[in-house]
Amino acid sequence: MATRTGADSLRELQIPPDGVIIKADDLWKTYDMGEAIQVHALSGVSFDIDRGEYVAIMGPSGSGKSTLMNLLGCLDTPTRGNYWLNGHLVSELSDDELAYIRNKEIGFVFQTFNLLARASALHNVELPLIYSGMPARERLEKAEESLRKVDLAERMHHKPNELSGGQRQRVAIARALVNNPSIMLADEPTGNLDSATGEEIMGVFGRLHEAGHTILLVTHEHDIAAHAHRIIHVRDGRIERDERIG
Amino acid sequence: MLIASSTFATAASNETKESARRNSKVENRRARFEFPVSSFEPLMASFDQTAAFPRTGAIQSATGAGAWVTIREAFWIAVEALRAHKLRTFLTLLGVVIATATLIVVMSLINGMNLYIADHIANLGANVFIVHRYQWAQGYEAWLKARRRNKPILIEEFEYLRDNLKDYRNIGAEAEIQNINTYARFQSHTVYFVDIAGVTPNMIDIGMQKVESGRYITQPDYDHESLVCFIGQDLVNSFFPNVDPLNKEVLVDGIPFRVVGVAEKIGSTFGESQDNFVQIPLTTYQKFFSPRPSLEVNVQAWDAEQMMRLEDQTRALLRARRHVPYREDDTFGINASDTIMQTWHQITGAVFGVTIGIVAVFMLVGGIVIMNIMLASVTERTHEIGIRKSLGARRRDILMQFVIEASVMAGIGGGMGLLAAVLVSELVNLIVGPGFFNASIPVSAILVGLVLSTGVGLFFGIYPASQAAKLDPIEALRTEN
Ligand SMILES: Nc1ncnc2c1ncn2[C@@H]1O[C@H](COP(=O)(O)OP(=O)(O)OP(=O)(O)O)[C@@H](O)[C@H]1O
Ligand SMILES: [Mg+2]
Repeated sequence: MATRTGADSLRELQIPPDGVIIKADDLWKTYDMGEAIQVHALSGVSFDIDRGEYVAIMGPSGSGKSTLMNLLGCLDTPTRGNYWLNGHLVSELSDDELAYIRNKEIGFVFQTFNLLARASALHNVELPLIYSGMPARERLEKAEESLRKVDLAERMHHKPNELSGGQRQRVAIARALVNNPSIMLADEPTGNLDSATGEEIMGVFGRLHEAGHTILLVTHEHDIAAHAHRIIHVRDGRIERDERIG
Repeated sequence: MLIASSTFATAASNETKESARRNSKVENRRARFEFPVSSFEPLMASFDQTAAFPRTGAIQSATGAGAWVTIREAFWIAVEALRAHKLRTFLTLLGVVIATATLIVVMSLINGMNLYIADHIANLGANVFIVHRYQWAQGYEAWLKARRRNKPILIEEFEYLRDNLKDYRNIGAEAEIQNINTYARFQSHTVYFVDIAGVTPNMIDIGMQKVESGRYITQPDYDHESLVCFIGQDLVNSFFPNVDPLNKEVLVDGIPFRVVGVAEKIGSTFGESQDNFVQIPLTTYQKFFSPRPSLEVNVQAWDAEQMMRLEDQTRALLRARRHVPYREDDTFGINASDTIMQTWHQITGAVFGVTIGIVAVFMLVGGIVIMNIMLASVTERTHEIGIRKSLGARRRDILMQFVIEASVMAGIGGGMGLLAAVLVSELVNLIVGPGFFNASIPVSAILVGLVLSTGVGLFFGIYPASQAAKLDPIEALRTEN
């Protein structure tokens, strides 16, 4: 940075400190529904998340949890406000940089899984590695290993429609894990699982957290949220309460 | 326990937890995104994430070496997608199939004709040119004009050339008639449409025939206007299947000729047998068939270079003798292999030009159809594109995926076109018969066909692919199919 304009240095001041991996600064997401009707899915959300934190997001249906996760996952852009990811202002990143982040830095588990219907579980898990440019053999090994971690190795050649809801969810988790991302964003990762399997998945997240990954997960269940060290309660697109536990 | 705890190296993770804490405490170290070493590390060691995702400065976005991986993936997605819609793919490709097939068939026909012309028609014998009333293989209008102006080559003109041309190797003449009335008969067998030719004795050295048995027309035969003949294989087959033809008497247009020699088999040209002939002395021919025949004067040179000089000499001599004014065209033709080939290449050039036009139209239509189906495919697969983008596919990865799909699709069309072309040429060969010519597909036609069709797919795939690449990840993910 040879020359610094006033705006630049102002922004410099805003760069969150090193330990803060995610900084949401007054995030809004507004949908125009036509005829001057606006839906505010998020109305000014601000929070910091430190590297290595384990955070649960809770809130009633329609409160904006998925909307928030999509923003944090660099899939969507806020109508207003700034989102800092590891010191980068996301709105200033190029398309390729965003693709890189989605590929390597963020593991996203979708509420609706979003698996490729025509591809096997194994191939679904391989996808992020393909876009990392990893050679086939190494890719296969890693994808298998990832599926083994969610106990789905025997089902790896099944297509999504040949798997149960819980199994699909586990494929989605294996896919999010496979590129060893630093941030794991999971939108109701246990929503389709019985409590026993849910606990197993929580075990995976627990170990990821122990290994230093930053974890954010959306859940409705207090049992699940109890695994986290911090719970952010969302209501009507706003943060209602931000509590640290344990 | 669903997940074996052995999967996670706990010993290692204790260490890394330490380092993670250390990291978060050091406030001023903002140089890089120091990613804590995870317990998955043994499996995932190859990523130096800190280098790629630094806390400041540009994020390294391209892996470089990985391009091939995504291209391969794109290829398999394409094959998979096309397999899923076989009929649709086939119908989509019809234009490209027809275009490629047309191109290759025409190229193979022209190729076959070229070989044929070179073999059968342009081959007048080594260093021979023919002085004839007309220039062969010229355009229709030129021919109409020549028909009015040109005069037959007369015996006197032949003799004049024979006496005044310098240093030729050989000069001979022949006159022929062949029509529905010309026949040859032996006992009860009759052959119609016989080519009756009066020749000078040296024609055996100039022309293409060779003596199989007996002898050719000789100087004494010529001088005495003898009733002798030299016959082709067709007559031998019809008249003398089991007997020696030599010294047998054959009726040619009612006149008895003694067979003195038999020619070797020549074959056929454009499906017409070249072995259906009777050759007699030119003097005898004048006496019985035509007193002042129109001749073909065959001049043989020693080499190609001399042949050109002889052609010029011949032209000058004949023009002078016929008093053709300076500015006017020749009133005769001088025909050589290369002029015939030249004319032939003009004709094939024109045919090829028309073909290129037709192929271009088909390719354009085929390309637009491909573009249309690719646009539909992008719409159908919006959700899939969203998934891929959410997992880190860049614009160029998606672009590549659809461009490759279009190219592979069109390339398959080209392959089918090639197959159709092979079938058509084989069919042509079968129908026309092996005696005619062999349409053979040149390697260049195969290359041009495949490269062109693939290129068309690539070109017309670019727009739909760029539409796909432009899609916003979240919008695409929200689209349900
Ligand atoms: N594309 C959209 N267009 C219009 N409104 C939208 C759109 N996406 C979300 N919304 C609205 O934004 C609000 C928040 O939606 P969101 O999906 O974030 O809820 P949620 O907290 O994830 O709910 P749930 O627990 O049911 O998954 C909802 O009222 C929803 O109707
Ligand atoms: Mg939701």
